[in-house]
Amino acid sequence: MADLQTYSHDAGWKNTVLRGLLYLVLILFAAYYLFPLIVMISTSLKSLDEIREGSLISLPRVVTFDAWNYAWNEACVGVECTGIKVYFWNSVKMAIPAVLISTFLGAINGYALTKWRFKGANIVFALLLFGCFIPFQVVLLPMSQVLGKLGLASSTPGLVMVHVVYGLCFTTLFFRNYYVSIPDELVKAATIDGAGFFTIFWRIILPISTPIIVVSVIWQFTQIWNDFLFGASFASGENAPMTVALNNIVNTTTGVKQYNVDMAAALLTGLPTLLVYVLAGKYFVRGLTAGSVKG
Amino acid sequence: MASLTLDKVRKAFGPVEVLKEINLAIEDGEFLVLVGPSGCGKSTLLNLIAGLESSTGGEIRIGDRVINDVHPKDRNIAMVFQSYALYPNMTVRKNITFGLEIRGVSAQERDKAVADVAKLLQIEPLLDRKPSQLSGGQRQRVAMGRALVRDPDIFLFDEPLSNLDAKLRVDMRTEIKKLHQRLGSTIVYVTHDQIEAMTLASRIAVMKGGILQQFDTPQNIYERPNNMFVAGFIGSPSMNFVDATLIDNGGKLAVSIERDGGPITLPLFEAPESYKAYVGKKVVFGIRPEGLTHKRTGSDEPGSQYVNFDSKVEVIEPTGADTMTVIDIAGKEIVARVRPDRAPTPGESMTFSADMSQISLFDPETELRI
Repeated sequence: MADLQTYSHDAGWKNTVLRGLLYLVLILFAAYYLFPLIVMISTSLKSLDEIREGSLISLPRVVTFDAWNYAWNEACVGVECTGIKVYFWNSVKMAIPAVLISTFLGAINGYALTKWRFKGANIVFALLLFGCFIPFQVVLLPMSQVLGKLGLASSTPGLVMVHVVYGLCFTTLFFRNYYVSIPDELVKAATIDGAGFFTIFWRIILPISTPIIVVSVIWQFTQIWNDFLFGASFASGENAPMTVALNNIVNTTTGVKQYNVDMAAALLTGLPTLLVYVLAGKYFVRGLTAGSVKG
Repeated sequence: MASLTLDKVRKAFGPVEVLKEINLAIEDGEFLVLVGPSGCGKSTLLNLIAGLESSTGGEIRIGDRVINDVHPKDRNIAMVFQSYALYPNMTVRKNITFGLEIRGVSAQERDKAVADVAKLLQIEPLLDRKPSQLSGGQRQRVAMGRALVRDPDIFLFDEPLSNLDAKLRVDMRTEIKKLHQRLGSTIVYVTHDQIEAMTLASRIAVMKGGILQQFDTPQNIYERPNNMFVAGFIGSPSMNFVDATLIDNGGKLAVSIERDGGPITLPLFEAPESYKAYVGKKVVFGIRPEGLTHKRTGSDEPGSQYVNFDSKVEVIEPTGADTMTVIDIAGKEIVARVRPDRAPTPGESMTFSADMSQISLFDPETELRI
C-alpha cells in the first residue's frame, strides 16, 4: 500500500510537470501565430505620426479608427481613390455565386456518382479527383483563351465561372465521400415510392446533407475569397476582387507609406473568411467527421 | 393483390450468373419465403421482382401483366428493407405518406390513410417523431406502415427482422403473420433464417448458388427434402447424415450402417419403387434428431415404425424441453432428441429408437433424394 502511494505520488508530480510543459509549448505556438495579428490590429488603430515615433510592437496610445475609415472609403487603388469598399462588393459578387453554384453542382455530381452509378462512373470520378491536383498556374493560359472566346474576359461572371470549374473537383469529392456512407436502400425505397432522380435529390438527399454543405461552403468561400492569381489574371481594373485591390493599395509607391491603412485594409480583406469560420466552424469539424453520423 | 409468376428468370452480372432459370408461381394471397445462405441470389431475385434491377432473361408477371420493363413505381409493389430505409429528414407521418404524395393523392385522403395504418400497427403516438427518435422495433413498424399505406398488389420484405434482437424478432414474426392473415395480401419475403421461413411461409423456395433447390410447402420441404442441401438447411438441429448401404433383408429393404462391433441394420418402414435401383448400393441415410429418441413403447412389436439399436453416448446438450444427445456412429456424430427425464449420462450406453417413417435416403453422388 505504501509502495503504491509513493508510486502514485511520483506519477502525480510527473503528470504536473508534463502538463506544464504541454501548456508552455501550446502557449508559445499560440503566441507565435497571434503576434502578427496583434501587431496588425494595433498598428491599424494608431495614427501615422504615432507609428513613426513609436516602436512596431507598442500598443496605440490613442485609439483611432481613421485608418479603417480611410481604407474602406478613400484609399487609392491605382488612380481611383474610392477605397476598398468597391472591391469588397466585387469579391462578394464573385464569391457568393461561385460558392453556391460549385457547391450545388458538387452535390448533384456526388449524388449521381454514388446513387445512380452509371457505366464509367469510377473513371469520371477518378478524372475529377485528378482535377484537384492541377495547379492554378497550369490552367491560366487555356482559361484566358476560353474566357476570351466566351466574351467573359475581365468580368465578374468570367471569374465566377473559373472558380466554379476549378472548385467542382473539390466539392464533388466532398459530396461523393459523404453520400457513399448513406445507404443505397434509401434511394431504392424512394424509387419504389415513385420519386425520380431530382425528387429524391431535393426531398431526401439534400435535406440530410447539411454537414457536408457547410464544409463545402467554408472550403469554397475561403478558396475563392482568398484567391489572388485568378483575380489578378482574369479581372483587372474596376472588376478586380478585394485581394487584388489590397495588393494595389499596399504597393502604391506615391506619397508616404501609410502602414495603418495597409493593415486596416488587410484586416478588412481577411474579415469575411474569419466570420465564416466563427459562424460555421463547429459544423466544419462535424462535417469532416461526418462518416460516423447516422441518420 | 395478385398472383406472381417467375418464368425462367435469369440474372447475370457480366459473366457471373447469379440466378439460373428460376421458375416460381404463387397464387393471390400466398406468403412466399425465399430462403438460402448468403450469396444464394435470394435478394437479387427480390430486387428483380421490385424492378430495382433488370433481369437478363425470362419473364416476371404480376397477375397477367408482364412487368419486366415496367418502372418500379408502376409495378404496384411495396418493399420493406433490411435497414428500414426510413427517410431521416421526415417525420413518421411524412415517411408513410411520401409515396402517396408523389402519386398525387390528396392531403385529405393521405391523412385518412395514415390514420388507418397507424391504428393497425399501433404507431399513432409516434407519427410526429423523426426516425432517429425511434427504437428498432418502432422503425420496423414504420417501415411496414410505409408499405401498407399504398395497398399494393405484392409486398416485398428483404430480411426485415435481421436487425432486431432475438426477442423482438419473434414478436414481430408473429405480428407479420397476423397481418398477413388479416389482410390476405400476397407477400414475398427474403430471409436466411430457416425458422422464419418455416413459421411464416405458405410456400418456401430454398435457393443455393442461384439455383432453386426446392419450392414447396414448409411441411413437405421439412419431411421430403429434394436433396441433402435442403435437408441440412431446414431444421434445427439439422438432419443427421450417415453413410449406409441399402440391402435386401429377407424380402424387406433395410439400411445397413457399418460400425465397430458389427453393422446396425435398420429395416425400412416404407419402400417406394425408387429405392429398388439402389439395392446393394451405397446411400446416405438421413434422419432428423426428433426421429431418433430414447426407446419408445411398442417399438418391440412386429410391424412397428420404430427400430431399436444400442449406442454409446458421447455428449449431452440439454435445451430444457429436450436433451440433445450426441452419439458416434461410424465416425459420424449423430444427434438424437431425448426427453430430459430419459436423458443418459455421457459414456453410458443406451437403447435408441429410430422412427423409420421419417427418414430420407439420398444418392451419395448427386446428393438428390432417392
